[in-house]
Parts: sequence; C-alpha cells; structure tokens
Amino acid sequence: MTEPLLSARDVVQEFAVRDSGGSWGGVVQAVSGVTFDVMAGETLGIVGETGSGKSTLARSLLQAPRPKSGTVTFRGTDLTRLRGRKLLRARRHMQFVFQDPFGSLDPRWRVRSIVSEPLLAYGDGSAGHRQARVDELLDLVGLDPARYAGRHPRELSGGQAQRVAIARAVALNPSLLICDEAVSSLDVLIQAQVLNLFEKLRSELGLSYVFIAHDLALVKQVSDRVAVMYLGRLCETGPGEAVYKTPLHPYTRALLDSIPATDPGAGRATTTLRGEPPSPISPPSGCRFRTRCPRAADLCAEQTPQMRDLGGGHTVACHFPLEKKEPSALKETAV
Amino acid sequence: MAVPTPDAVLLTPGGPPALPSLLVSDRRIRAQRFWRGARLWIPLGFLILMLFMCFVLPRVVTLPSPTNGTILDGNDALFTPGHWLGTNNVGVDTFSQIVYGGQVSFEIGAAVTAIGMIIGCAIGIPAGYLGGWADSLLSRILDVLLAFPALVLALAIAEGLGPSEVHEIWALSVFSIPTFGRLARASTLAVRDLPFMTAARLSGTRGWRIIVRHVIPNIAPGLVSFSLLGVGLTIILEGALDYLGWGIPLPEASWGQMIASGQNIMSAQPQYVLVPSLFLLVTVVALNMFGDALRERWGEA
Amino acid sequence: MSEEALLEVTDLRVAFAAGGQEISAVNGVSFSVRPGETLAVIGESGSGKTVSCRAIMGLLPSTAIVKGSARLRGTELIGLPEPELRRHRGAQMAMVFQDPARSLNPTMRIGQQIAEAVRTHRDVSKAEARAEAIELLRLVRMPLPERRFGEYPHQLSGGMRQRVVIAIALACKPKLLIADEATTALDVTTQAQIMELLLDLQDELDMALVMISHDLGLAASYASEVVVMYAGKIVEQAPAGQLFGARGAVRMRYTRALLDAIPDMERAAHTPLPVVAGRPPDLAALPPGCAFADRCAAAEDDCRETAPDLAEHVPGHRWACWHPCAAGDNSENGDIPS
Repeated sequence: MTEPLLSARDVVQEFAVRDSGGSWGGVVQAVSGVTFDVMAGETLGIVGETGSGKSTLARSLLQAPRPKSGTVTFRGTDLTRLRGRKLLRARRHMQFVFQDPFGSLDPRWRVRSIVSEPLLAYGDGSAGHRQARVDELLDLVGLDPARYAGRHPRELSGGQAQRVAIARAVALNPSLLICDEAVSSLDVLIQAQVLNLFEKLRSELGLSYVFIAHDLALVKQVSDRVAVMYLGRLCETGPGEAVYKTPLHPYTRALLDSIPATDPGAGRATTTLRGEPPSPISPPSGCRFRTRCPRAADLCAEQTPQMRDLGGGHTVACHFPLEKKEPSALKETAV
Repeated sequence: MAVPTPDAVLLTPGGPPALPSLLVSDRRIRAQRFWRGARLWIPLGFLILMLFMCFVLPRVVTLPSPTNGTILDGNDALFTPGHWLGTNNVGVDTFSQIVYGGQVSFEIGAAVTAIGMIIGCAIGIPAGYLGGWADSLLSRILDVLLAFPALVLALAIAEGLGPSEVHEIWALSVFSIPTFGRLARASTLAVRDLPFMTAARLSGTRGWRIIVRHVIPNIAPGLVSFSLLGVGLTIILEGALDYLGWGIPLPEASWGQMIASGQNIMSAQPQYVLVPSLFLLVTVVALNMFGDALRERWGEA
Repeated sequence: MSEEALLEVTDLRVAFAAGGQEISAVNGVSFSVRPGETLAVIGESGSGKTVSCRAIMGLLPSTAIVKGSARLRGTELIGLPEPELRRHRGAQMAMVFQDPARSLNPTMRIGQQIAEAVRTHRDVSKAEARAEAIELLRLVRMPLPERRFGEYPHQLSGGMRQRVVIAIALACKPKLLIADEATTALDVTTQAQIMELLLDLQDELDMALVMISHDLGLAASYASEVVVMYAGKIVEQAPAGQLFGARGAVRMRYTRALLDAIPDMERAAHTPLPVVAGRPPDLAALPPGCAFADRCAAAEDDCRETAPDLAEHVPGHRWACWHPCAAGDNSENGDIPS
C-alpha cells in the first residue's frame, strides 16, 4: 500500500475560553481525536455544521495554530514536530483557500502582489520570473492578467476575489489544497464556476484536496471520499456514493434529510433533527450525538463508539449503525 | 443592504449605452460628487494657505520685524495702513507675529506629532503584533510615559534646560509618544488576526515583512488622520505652556504665546486675543476636517 | 392579480445615488401576495430582492428613491409618513433578517426585547407584556420559555436566536411576514427546523409569508408561489408546483441555470457542473435590452435591443423572454461549458 499524502492521527485541538464577564469559561473541545488519511490525487470532503470543529481541524492541519496533541504527517514529515523555517519548508506544498474571499486578501494590495506573495516569501525566481508566473497563474484561474493584475480586491467581485485566492494558493505548485468553505459565500452560479475551476486544477495540476463545507451535496460533488464530523469527532467516513446512498450513522441520515429538494412540497415531509447541538465545552459522554439520536441507548452514554470498517472502506463510529438495506429506517423511528 | 453588493456594482463592460437615468436627478448626483471633493479640498486649501503664509510669504515679501517695533506705532488698530492687523503696545506688527509665530506653532506641532508617531509606532506595533510578554513589557513603558503629568514634566525640562523650542518639543513628545503608542497597539491588535494576515503567514511571509507590508499599510490611515488631529492638539497644548511662561522664550512668538500675552489686555484690546485665536481655530478645524476626509477616502481603499 | 390580495405591488422602482452615479436596484417589479400564501422571491446578490422588500417595509436609507405602488389591504405604503408606516409595521407586517445575532440587542435579556416589542404596539402593563413574551417564546417552540426569558442573546445558539427574532416579529400578530434570507446563516438541520416552524406559524396565525432567498431548493420545498428576480426585474413567476413539478415548466434560461447549478446528490463526483459564464450586469449602467442577454446561450439581436416584458404566457405562469426554453423540459441543458 502506498503511503498517504497527508495523514492525521488523533488530532486534538482545545481552546480556553472566557465567559462574558472575562472569568474562566472552560475549555472548548473543538477537535477531539480525529484520524484520517488523504492519498495523492484524492479529494477528501469533510462535512459538518457550525461548531463541529471542521474549520479548527483545517487550521490544525496547517499548524495555525499547532494542534494540542496528535500528529499530522504530510509527505512523510510530521509537521507537529517542526518549527520556524523547517515548518515553512515542509508546508510549502500544502496551501489553503478560506471562506471569505475578500477577508483573505489584503485590501491594500494589488492582485499582482497578492498572487506573488508566496513566490516572494519562498524566494522563487527573479522579479521577472515572478511577474511571468503571476500572469500564468491568473490565466490558469480564468482572469485576464492585463485587466485584473493591477486591481485592488475591492474592484473585484466575490467570485473573482476567490479566483485570486486560488491563484495564490497554487502559486507554489502545492500537492494539497485545504479548502475551508471555499465556495459557500458565493452566489450559486458563481459557485458552480469556482467548483469547476477546482475540478480543472485537480486534473491539470494533479492536486489533492481536503474540501471542508457544511453542504453535503456540494461536498459529494467534488469528493472521492467523504467524512462527516459532529462536535469535534468524525462519525462516518467512506466513498461519497456509499455515504450518501447508504448512510450508516444516524447523524448523516439526518443531514441528508434536511437538504431541501427541488421537488415542490418536499419540505413538509422531511425529518428534522430535534434539539440543539450540545456545547463543545461539556460534550456528552460516550457518543457525542446521543443526546439528539433517535437510536441512543444506555451503551451510547457509557462507551465512546470506535471507528469500525463495515466493508468497502465505509467506516462508522456508532454502536447501532443504520442497516445498509433499509436507508429509511430512521425516518420511522424519528417521527 | 443599502448599497448593492460588489458583484453587481462593478464596472461595465463595453456594450450598448446605458439607459437614461430614471429616478435620480442629475443635480443630485452632481451635488454628491461636488461635496465629496469639497470635504477634502476645502480644508486642504486652508492648510496650504496657512503654510504658504507662514513659510513662503516672509521669504518673498519684506514684513515688519516680528520682535521689534517702535513705540510710536504702538496700539495701532486693525486695518491701519502698513499694519493691517494692528500692532501691540510696543508697536510690533501683529501680522508679522502671526506669520513668524505660526512657523513656531507648525514646527512644534509637526515635530511633536512626528516624534510621537515614530517612537509610538516602534513601541506599539510590536507590542500589538507579538502579544504575550513583549506586549506586557512595551505596554508598561507606554503606561509610565502616560502616567507623567506632561505639563509638570515640561516645566521641569524648561526649568532644568532652559526654555527653548527644542526642549519644548521633547517635553510635549512625552505626551504624544504614549498616545500614538496606544493607538498603534490597538490598531495592530484589530488587524493582527484578520483572515488575510493568517493567509499571509500561511503563504510563507514572516515576521518583519508582515509588519511592514501588511500591518502598517492597514493601520496607517487611522494613524495619519489621528496625527493631523494631534498637530492641532499640540499647537493648543504648546500655547498652554507659553501661557504658564515655560514655553517659547520672549520676544519670540508662537500663536499660543500671543493669545497668552494678549489676555492681560483682553478687555481693552480684544483683537490681541481674537486675531491669533482665529488663525488657530481655522488651522485646527482644517486639520481635523482634512483628517476625516482623508480617512473617508482611504477607508474605501 | 386578484381583488382579495393582501399585498399588491405595482411597478416598484428603487434607485440609489451612490458614489456619484445612479444605481438602479429595482426596475419595475409587480406582484401580489394573497392571505395565507407563501411567496418565495429568489435571486442572486444584487438582484433587487432584498431592496424591493425593504422598500415595501419602508426600511431603506434616505439615499434611496422609491417610486411605484405597494398596497397593503388597500393602504398605499410608498410615500407614507414614517409614524403611520411604523403603525403598519408590526401590526400588519413584520420582517425577519438574515443575521439573528445583529437583529438582537446584545445587552438586553431576550424576554425584555420581546416584551418591549409587545408594548410598542399595544397598551399593556409590564406584567401582561411579560406573560405575552413567554407565550410568544412558547409559540416559537423555545424549550423552557420561562428560563430563556432572562437569558442574553449570546447564551443562545444561532437557531435559538432566530426563534427569538421570529417571536419579536410575531409580537403583534402580523398578517404578512417577510423573511429575508432568514435561514441562510443557519445549518441545514437548523434551517429545516426554522422553515418548519415558519410554515406551522403561518397555518396557526393565518399569515402570508414572503421568503427572500438565493436558494431555489428552499423555494421548491416550502413555497406555493415563486418569483425569480434578475437585475432588479422579475424574470419568471409561477406556482411552485407548476415550476418544479415532475414535468417542470421552467421557461427562463436564467431560472434554469440557477436550478442546474445546485449541487445534486445524483450527479457523479468530479463531473463538471453546467455553468453560465460572466456575472450580473452593473446596476449603474443597465443595458437597454434583456439584462441576462450577455450570459444567455439563446440570446439574439432582439434580446440586446429591447427588453422583453413580463407577461402571462400560460395561465399562472409569467416570464420575460423572447426565446424561452421548450416547455416541460427540466433536464439539464449544460449550456456553456467553462
């Protein structure tokens, strides 16, 4: 078996928070022991809702900030042990695209400087080379260099700004791109354009992606494998088709049922998940989904379910996974 | 959503001519453009006029001496031929005093602000950017400076070193350094963790380069417009020192000095206070308005 | 459309004077809402969907110039003086915004905010307002309403905050509720909860609901009537069942493009999405013809010269296009590959 491009092992990230009075508020267990692999050329989609810790996980992979414990091995090097220049060198092939296209571009810089920033930082080539490379990159992401290189971010639309961020991300020929809600702030027509751009870069540059989003359909569209995250833990991973056609975890089922369909009146028939996600400061014992799960039993509070493979690389962390044969099982129990 | 989002209000590609205006009158649009320009250019015009008057005019035209006059010309009223802003009790031309005193006021205002800005930023930006123990240490330095009563310190400097323009600049800088330092630290903190800063760090840019290329350009508009306010404040504060008799040594004048000495005879000859006060007022208001207009422009950038 | 319409909007136009140019945000919009109906107004950012609803509510800044007519139960709202408008807002119509965090005062207990909304419109004692506020919290299915009454907004999750905002909007039992992207900032599971709540409340209180959204899927699932906007105009309008039904009848290529761009679970991974090149036109310089012509695969010279009017071509179904798609064909057309 070939070695994975990126492998995260038991990644834990916690933050101390203060409550509104400024006194000790507790520790947010944002990411609690997440383990996964990304193979070269593969796209791993991570789906989760607000507070699931998916963005914190993205930052932890980038070592910004470094996770509390666990290892992140990228191209054979454990990034969590590196500091300073060594970390910088190792991270060169791992780049990122964030959610807010305008927020991630310095408003006082021009497109040309933004795209060449990583080239300059890693000392790649002369000024002339960098200039040529910037033109090449803007072309690649579908922006005419003559028209856009001299603009400030405020003179761009949301879609164009995100293309600039993508050009910057691929400037150093990375092998892995971490996208955190990279298209969710864009209008649907622009979103489709940018998603197609990601696809084009994948095939042309042989990129791998960790594609993080809250939209299951969107994640499935771009991913080879999908991981579902809830309250700091992965609850299900597997090939996109399998996760979506035969979800094993009750939470995945609920997420799928919540997506509005383009059939009229479908909304009234969907099963909505009850209650609110618990606080990540004091997550439930055992399985973290048990407080909202229609299948929860005493065992779920006592023991944390471990990830187990139920065949075909489809893994689930649940004591009572849904049967593969009856995908609508939850619907009956939940109503 | 008062104004449509950027996706919709961007430039027009070449194509058919736009539809004629339907609802918004041309006059309203022209008025909007006019006032936008006026807010910047009117105060700037006043400032240029003042600077021209103080620094260029005396080199071009021969003005009466600002320190010596003949007692025969004493107490001329306003609009006296040859002394169109009048003279004081010993016959010194008021307009000359305004011109040369303005030089002193502007010099002190600019120098104190510049020193405050440079040293304040040198302390405040690293404090805000680095955080942790570096922040604690640098912030304490600023606190110590801020805790000094500036006027008392200025008195001490004037007492110890003798009154002079340079000593006054250093005394007043004790006040401006921590002010700018605090502001620089707070502005740095506000931008430090914005997504584009994280993006720059993840792109491989490090340390000083981030401060120089990302932090400073983004906090500069606020600092510059505050510094214009600071020049005005310093000119007023300098007047306070003069008033107490520890500022510019007589017979040299500054605007503050003129207001201070004029107050003795204010009831009899109010113009000795009113004339320099008017110049001071116009300058300070113009500085503030120019600073606001500048920030408005840069805020969009 | 009909005489019993609750809200009748006719030829609404809104323009802003900004940065020395005129921005035409809404360019002649007409629609009506019947009592108890759910109307979805769909469009991308800058399509004028929010601006038109704010114009009806009288919530636009003074830089906006509003022309046209919006009648709520026969009362003309456009040009109504602020005090009278305020009486209608709340008593007859209310609005829920996208960001629940910013709609609430962070320094006030949520119960007090609801009670204050009750007291603004009706002369009741403090105790009565409090009792009513708790009743409203119960109405929006807030668990433990008595305890929640004393909590601050930051103690609540996004979904719970949006329930509070809805409770405030319902304080005076409005006949018309406008929900402006009310679920956009929420997670899918929470979004489903809030939409269910809104529809339940609509039945219970016999309200009309206007939902402004960018999400056609949401419209298809929950609305009875759908209006699609582009560059400040309505380009297509039809009952949801007719528009999205098994033999769907989308006729505008823009609506079709919106539908096609929604990520679809049935599509295989990595297949390219059908896309429309370009982006919406500059509202400061709208073309004389169809605003979508530059991005439309079927555009011809007539589209660029004259803008098609919105007309009822099929009973109940209006569209504004010179060259509409063939009827009964909701399959992807994958017009222009990128």
